[in-house]
Order: sequence, then C-alpha cells, then structure tokens
Amino acid sequence: MKKISRLALGLAGLVGLAAITGLEAEEAKTPVPGGTLNMIAQPEPPILMVGLNTQGPTLYVGGQIYQSLLTYGTGLEVLPSLAKAWDVSEDGLTYSFTLQDGVKWHDGQPFTAEDVVFTADKFLREAHPRWRYIASTYVESVTSPAPGKVIFQLKKPFSAFLYAFELSSFPVVPKHIYEGTDYRTNPANQTPVGTGPFKLEEWKRGSYIHLVKNEDYWKPGQPYLDELYFRIIPDAASRAVAFEKGAVDVLRGGDVEGFAVRRLAKLDGVETTTAGWEMYSPVVFLQMNTRKAPLDEKRVRQAVMHALDREFIVKNVFFGLGKPATSPVASTTRFHSQDVAAYPFDMAKAKALLDEAGVKPAEHTLRLMPIPYGSQWDRLAEYVKQQIEQLGFKVSIQGVDPGGWSQALSEWDFDMTFNFTYQYGDPALGVARHYLSANIIKGTPFGNNQGYVNPKVDELLLAGASAVSAEDAAKAYAEAQKILTEEVALGWLYEMHNVTISREKVKNLVTTGIGLNEAMDEVWLAK
Amino acid sequence: MTFFRRYAQHYGALVGLAILSGVLLVALLAPLIYPVSPWQGVGEPLLGPFEDPAFPLGTDMLGRDIAAGLAYGARVSLLIGVVSTAVAVVIGVSIGALAGFYGGRIDDLLMRFTEFFQTIPAFAMAIVLVAIFNPTIASITLAIAVVSWPPVARLVRGEFMSLRSREFVQAAVVVGQSGPRIMLTQILPNTLSPIIVTASLMVATAILTESSLSFLGLGDRNMMSWGFMIGAARTMLREAWWMSVFPGVAILITVLAINLIGEGLNDAMNPHLRGRKG
Amino acid sequence: MKTLDFLFQRLVKAAFVVLGVVILNFLLIHLAPGDPAAVMAGEAGAGDEKFIAQLRAQFGLDQPLWWQLLTYLKSVLTGDLGFSYRNNVPVAALIMERLPATLLLTASAFLFSLVLGVLLGVLAAYKRGKLADSLIMTGALVFYATPLFWVALMAVLVFSIHLDWLPPFDMESIGADYTGWARFADIAYHLVLPTVTLGLFFTALYTRLTRASMLEVMSLDFVKTARAKGVPKARIIRRHVLRNAVLPVFTFASIQAGQLVGGAVLTETVFAWPGIGRLMFDALLQRDYPVLLGVFLVTAAVVVTVNLVADLLYRIVDPRIEAAG
Repeated sequence: MKKISRLALGLAGLVGLAAITGLEAEEAKTPVPGGTLNMIAQPEPPILMVGLNTQGPTLYVGGQIYQSLLTYGTGLEVLPSLAKAWDVSEDGLTYSFTLQDGVKWHDGQPFTAEDVVFTADKFLREAHPRWRYIASTYVESVTSPAPGKVIFQLKKPFSAFLYAFELSSFPVVPKHIYEGTDYRTNPANQTPVGTGPFKLEEWKRGSYIHLVKNEDYWKPGQPYLDELYFRIIPDAASRAVAFEKGAVDVLRGGDVEGFAVRRLAKLDGVETTTAGWEMYSPVVFLQMNTRKAPLDEKRVRQAVMHALDREFIVKNVFFGLGKPATSPVASTTRFHSQDVAAYPFDMAKAKALLDEAGVKPAEHTLRLMPIPYGSQWDRLAEYVKQQIEQLGFKVSIQGVDPGGWSQALSEWDFDMTFNFTYQYGDPALGVARHYLSANIIKGTPFGNNQGYVNPKVDELLLAGASAVSAEDAAKAYAEAQKILTEEVALGWLYEMHNVTISREKVKNLVTTGIGLNEAMDEVWLAK
Repeated sequence: MTFFRRYAQHYGALVGLAILSGVLLVALLAPLIYPVSPWQGVGEPLLGPFEDPAFPLGTDMLGRDIAAGLAYGARVSLLIGVVSTAVAVVIGVSIGALAGFYGGRIDDLLMRFTEFFQTIPAFAMAIVLVAIFNPTIASITLAIAVVSWPPVARLVRGEFMSLRSREFVQAAVVVGQSGPRIMLTQILPNTLSPIIVTASLMVATAILTESSLSFLGLGDRNMMSWGFMIGAARTMLREAWWMSVFPGVAILITVLAINLIGEGLNDAMNPHLRGRKG
Repeated sequence: MKTLDFLFQRLVKAAFVVLGVVILNFLLIHLAPGDPAAVMAGEAGAGDEKFIAQLRAQFGLDQPLWWQLLTYLKSVLTGDLGFSYRNNVPVAALIMERLPATLLLTASAFLFSLVLGVLLGVLAAYKRGKLADSLIMTGALVFYATPLFWVALMAVLVFSIHLDWLPPFDMESIGADYTGWARFADIAYHLVLPTVTLGLFFTALYTRLTRASMLEVMSLDFVKTARAKGVPKARIIRRHVLRNAVLPVFTFASIQAGQLVGGAVLTETVFAWPGIGRLMFDALLQRDYPVLLGVFLVTAAVVVTVNLVADLLYRIVDPRIEAAG
C-alpha cells in the first residue's frame, strides 16, 4: 500500500512527490467490501481483449478481466500474479513457473498450464508483435511438464525475460475458447473471458463499460468492490467536470489535461499520486529522421537539442507533470545511466554547432508532425517550431490524425515528429527497439523509424540483453547510452509524470508499478 | 445611387459594414501592429486581460499574445471564408447554369449529382474531407467549398430555368448565339444579385465551419485562426476564460456583420423580394 | 393511385441517391491516404510488414479497389454492412447500438428548433417593428452567428457548473438502472442541454425564415384585400397567412434535417452523447472504413426517408401540389 499524498504545486513539489509516494505505509483501516467505483476509459477502447490490443484504455479495462503470470512493484520488483513462484536456472536459459491453484476462467472452466502454453506458443506468437519478437528470438520451447508447471526454455540468455510477463506483454488467454479459431474475429472477443477479479457485464458503446465482481475469483474474499464503471466521455473538459461533480472517482494520467490536474488536485477530499507508472515510465522524444538532410548531420541534431528549453516544456506545456529526460533509459528503469552527453538550453551553442557543420538553416524547410494525442502535444509542436525557427530553419507543422500519423511514421515519411515509448522495466523491452538497426522496418510506428544505424550500439544493446549478470548488462547499457546521447539518436525531451487523481474514499488504488492496469482486487471504498 | 441608398436605409447593414471594415483593417494591418509572429511567446504565460498593459487581452499558456492571435486570425478566417465561397460559387454556378439552361437529361444527371452532396450532412462531409487529406489551409478551403456549392447550384438552376424562356434569351437564340455565350452574357448577369446575396451569407457560414473544424482539431497548424484559438483553449475554459472568450466573440461579431451585410444587400438588390431569404 | 405512383417513383429515386452516396463515399475514402492495417498494427503494440500484410489479407484490403467496391455493394444489398476492423464487431450492430441516441437528439433538436422558431417568427412578424420583433430578431441574429460548439461550452459552464441545474454529459444516469417513466424522465433531463445547444442555431434560422415568409404572404394581394375589407389582423393571420407562410418553412426544415447530423458530431463530443456522430468521427480518425461507410449509408438513408415523409405530408396538407405535379 502506498501513502498517497496531496499534490504539491509546482515542479519541485512534483519531483519530490515521486520519492514520497515510494514509501511504504500501512493503511490503518481494514477493507470494507462492497461499492461501485467509477472511472473513465479515454479514448473508448475498441476491444477489451488485451491479447489483440495493447493501447492504454484497453489495458486499463482489460486489466480487470485478464491477468498475466507476473506483475511488478513500484520499485520494479517481480511479484506473483497467475504464477505464484518462479525459478531461473543459473545459465539463464530455463525459466520455470508454478501457477496459482484453484483459478477459474470467467466461464467456469479451470485455468491450467495448458492455457499458458497455448498463450505463449500459439496465440501471442501470432497476434502480439512484441511477444512475437521475443518468442522467435529467444524462446526455444514452452512446455508443461506437470499440472500447474510451465517451463520456458530459451535459446540464449535474455536478461530482461522476467520482465516480459507484464499484463500488456503477456495476457494469458483461455485455450478452450481460442484454440483453432480466427483470433481476431472470434466472437468471444466481445464477451471476454479472463481470470481477473471482474467480469464484463455490459458494454454500451459510447456510454460506459460495466464490470461486475467475479464471485469465483481465486483470491479468497476478493475483490472488495462489487461493480466498476468505465465511462466514455470524449471531451477533456467534460471529463474534468465529471470528476468535479462526483460522477467519477478516479482520473488516470491523461484523462484530463495538465492544467486541470492542478485545479482538481486542490479540491477537497481529493488525493493524487504519480506512482503506478514505474513499469512504463514513458519517455517523450523528438524523432528526427536521420535519412533526411540536414538531420542526417549529428551536429544539427545536437543544435536542435540545445535550442529546446526542456525545463520550459515541462513547466509550461505539460504544467509541471514531468521532468527533463537526459537519457534514452528513464531514470526509473533498470540500467539508467547518468554518464551521458548533456544538452543544456543554449541558443548560442546551437547556432555555433550549425556553423561548425556548415549548414545554412535558411535553405531548409523542416516538416514537423505533431503526435495527435491532444492539445498539449499540439502546444509542444508549436513550441518546438518556434525554437527551431529561431535557429533560422523554416518549419511547417503537418497536422495529422492518428491514422495519418501512424502511417507516415511507419513509412518513414516525416522529417520530425514526436513519440513516446513505454520502457517495460528493462531497456531490452522498451528502449532498444528504437535504436537497433535490425529494427529499421517499415510498418510500425514504434521501431527505429528515424533510421539510426550504429553497429557499435547494436552490439552493446544485444550484449546487454543477453548478459547473464546484471553488472555486465549495466556496463553494456551505460556505454550504449553514452553513444546514443552523444549522437542524438533521438531528441529525448522529458519523462512523463502521469498523475492519478482519486477521491480519498478510494483505498489501495495504486499498489504496483503497473498502477491502474493492475487487477483492482484489493481496492476498496471507505464509507 | 439608389442601390446605396436602399442599402443605407438598412441600419443593421451599415453597422455590419462598419464592423467588417474594422475587421478587414485589423487583418490587413496585422503584420504592422504585431511584427512578431503570433506563434511566438512574447510574455509571461497565462496573463489575464489587462494584467499587463502590453497584452490587453492577455496571453495563452505559451505566453503568446491573444490580441496578436486575433489580428492574424482575422486574416485566416476572412481568407478561408472568401476563397471557399468563391470556389463554391464557381462550382455551383457552373453546375446550376448547365442544368438550368440545357434541362432534360443533363439537368437530371446534374441534379442527381447535387442531391448526393445534399444528402450527406455538409459538416460531416467536410470533416471527412479535411481529415483524410490532412488539414491544410488548402484542404480546408476546398472541403468547405465542396460542401457548400449545392444551394448555389439549385438557386442558379432555378433562375436559369425561368430566364431561359424570357424573350431576350429567345432572341439571342434566334440570332444564333452559342449556348455558352448566351449563358455568360445574357442570363448570368441577370442572376447576379441573388448569387451575391447567397454568397455573402455563405462567407459567414464558411467562417463558422472553419472554426468548428479547428475546434475538432482539424485546422491548419501553421495558421493562427480563431477556431484554432478556441480549440486550443477549450480545455482551459475554466482556468483561462479569456483564451476562448475573445476569439469566440471575434467569430460572433464577424459572422454577425457579414449576415447583416447580406441582408442589406438582399434588400438593396431585390427590393421587390424583400424578406425572401434563407 | 396517384399518390402510390408518386411514392414508388420517389422510393426508386431515394434508393438511387443512397446508392450514389455510398459509391461516392467509398471512392473518396479509399482513395485517401491512411492505411487501416498500419493503424491497427500500431494499436496492437507494434508490427512488421508480415503482420500488416496478414491484417490486410484478413480484411480484403489487398484486393483491387473496384473489387472491394463490388464486394462491399454486394454485402450491403444483403443487409451486411461489413465488419469493423478496429472494434472487431459487425458494423451494423455497432451502428444500431448508437443510432437511437442520435435519432433522439436530432429529432428533439429538430422539433425544438422548428416549434420555437416558427412561434418566434410568427410573433416577430405579428409585432413587426415593435420591441418584441427587435428583441427576437436580434437574438436570432446573434445565435445565427455563434459557433455551435461555443454555445455548448458556455451552456455547460453556466447551467451545469455554476447553476448546477442540468447534467453536463451522458444520456442517462449511469448505474441508476431506472425503468419505465423514471428512465424516460432521466433521459429527458439529460437531453435538455444537448437539444437546446444543437437546436439554437436552427431555431435562429427558422425564426428568420418564418418571419420573412410571414411578411411575404402578408404583402400578398388576398391578404391586403381581406385587410381592406376590415377583417381583424389576428384572424387573417390565423386563417390565411399562417398556413401559407409556415409550409415553406417546414419543407425547408425537412431538407435541412440532415444538417443536424453534422452538428451532432460537435454536440455529441461536448456532451458525451453516445450517438453515431461521434462514432463517425472516431472511425474516421482510426481509418475504420467499414464503420465510416456504414454511418454515411445509414445517415443518407435516414435523410432520404425524412425528405420523403416530408414530401408526402406536404401533399396531404397542401393538395394543390398534386394538381401541379
């Protein structure tokens, strides 16, 4: 249980907050069963089947229905979920999991090791791009030698493997429903069957998603809540009003805009925390297409970095909800290194770098494509445009919708854009994908779309991934971070701090490093 | 002189003209009054109105001057309004004239085509067009034009149909003038007044449509427009009302002024049809 | 018999129009940049070319455009609107779930604006030149010039937040499980703000139209004659002017009914109204073509039906049309 403290105003307060909320403190009261929790799913998820869609809202709602083998604490410690115990062989090649007893699917069928094998070997291998990659690169076999036991045999060591069992990476799906079917069009996707503490009762598209307590949940006496409502409210201002009027009890990071966070945090009986995002630790970056002149020139990218006042961005564009990023690896992720090239805000230095590179900015028009995720991102684009124009470049902002953005990025048809990456606890899972030259593939917005190539970095990242000892991994990742920052493989802007806002009556809301995506089996409402 | 006298009798029309002239003046002089780009942060972020005399209407979250934004926004709104209307009028007049003049199959075909466009809700269609071709000032202007021409086509078709049988047109046919020539030199000049009245009202609608598109996030990101300002400010309506109120008022009075002018024109041009408008 | 003939003709024409709209939209949408498979792959977390190719094949997106169009038309004719890529649901089910909300909203806005607009217009015409006329017409002018979304935001600010009279969003109290009249009242209560904001622009429009139409009819000879004969003004208006003046407004309004759907996109956004306007917008941003096409098809069908019904009513109310047509 986390101590949740009131949000202090201003940047300093917010940075400090992350430390405070990390403290463990025992809640004095004992949980009271019953009650309804109202939340917001924004935007409305297209589907609740986590194995087919890993977007934020899908995970938020689907996380109450589906579960993975493991979960992770706010300090990224590995915690049990559907697996109650696990063991890693000394050579780092064999991972054995012991499953919880007496777990049932929502349709009453028993949950078995066969479900896990099917999930790993069949379902996710076909439908889940991230698992596909891990499975084909590292996994030799998945077997169940005995009931309640699953063994993953690896081809080569993978230091991040134990972190690959987070909800969005490895949601366990029921074999008896999906085996031999077309996963995407299986009608069961509309009536999700998981092992989680809540079951889908009704989904009124455009209005709400209603989940009810799973009476047969495998943790005795849990969940405490009877009902969950995820409301669909498309307008950000209306969402703020919904919280204010008491129609919803919880706001997830991103549900309301930064400015409203400040105001809502000051209301009576309201608590805030930035905990619960440690596993994801999104890092926002400016992606510069290194195939295009003049961005192919390292010093131009360095100049751009010097021209951006990242403190200003955090303070004025994102209303203090973040901190400037210094490295590709977030400060909350394993193997974060401080020994990197720094880019303080310095227009003179930026101009000097351009001169040194012999680039005449007036000759270049750069296209800047904002990420279409809401007004703060538009402001970010406007700020970046304004700063880069002061270097002498011409910048034209290309407005795109999510479809257009995804496509342009996937096909490398951009000069500059923004993106952010979830870290998934380990550089091999969420970070390396943006820098490995093997990941320069068309068709995904979340690969090495800027076309960065450095064989040395490839080597270091792979060495880190397959290191057996943590020290070896740390060494390789530290060196990689040094090179990446020096070459500005991406323009890291800031680490997002997502604030969860809730009413004081909601207890035990954020307990792990996956925050609100965690099964809310321990959440209860004080009377 | 009678035209102007009739126009001037319309008190509201004079007010409208005065307001629109003011807006035009501001739009023209914007770069002189505010030499710095309206996108450039120039002051402390989120200053309220009159907090700092340098920024009488306050600043937004990036410290940009709201007044400068309004001045530059006037250019965009008027530009989109006028250009999209011009394009729509050209399309509408061409289709309406052909349909009305030739009648028969051509009329049937063109009117069915017009009907397709009228059946799809105009704003929904505009959204689709702008979204799939990406929002730029060109795509927005074009999208507005594409959804607003059908009423012009219908109007012009009606006028052409009734004028076609008039004596002076029949005379031209007998003399052997070509179809296009008759349409351009004989009939079109006689349909100008209702077209002008309709067009003036369309400019107003176009400005509203542009602001609605911007509100939905489908504005041109390189152009400071009023709709954009409201769209950017709407999530902060509670905290910084001035950011959305001033551009809202700007839209309101500009559209109002144009409507008043349209009415005045209508009264002045069609004295016998006083009140026939839609 | 004549009415039946007319009905048949109109039905054929209506079907033709809907078909045209479908083809027009299909081509428009498919010629546009934006690959739904790429979007979907992105949503699944990432994706390589093989993964995208697999999705494309699954949804028939790898076929030539004309073939896709034919396949689509064929399935539409059999009542199948296709399968939503993104929501993994049949499109028809998705639309039917959302359509009632939009119909309710647009129908109530339509009635609200028409009734209020006509009343105010008649009143203004009756009190022509008086204070009431000026007030009504000034109000109409202002609302005719105010952006809809702006009115919506302001209405929420004033009536929901400051005065706390009306709910700012949703279609009903979620989780309350009302039934019967209680549910009806609950929905009506939630309907007030969206209806009024969506309807205000049209109210202004119909007020202006009605007044103009009234004045036009009042200037006609038969009215002047009646006045000269000493028939009281109120009676002339009731007996002769109203019907002749208001009918064109009704016709115009029925043609305009489709435009309400456009406005519904904005209204539904601000008020979290679970209708097809919002569905269309989301589908558009996600490149969910089948849903987008389905929404347009259904909208076109509804608009055409409304126009048809209006035509029929018009014939019944005003038999002269039959003679002329």
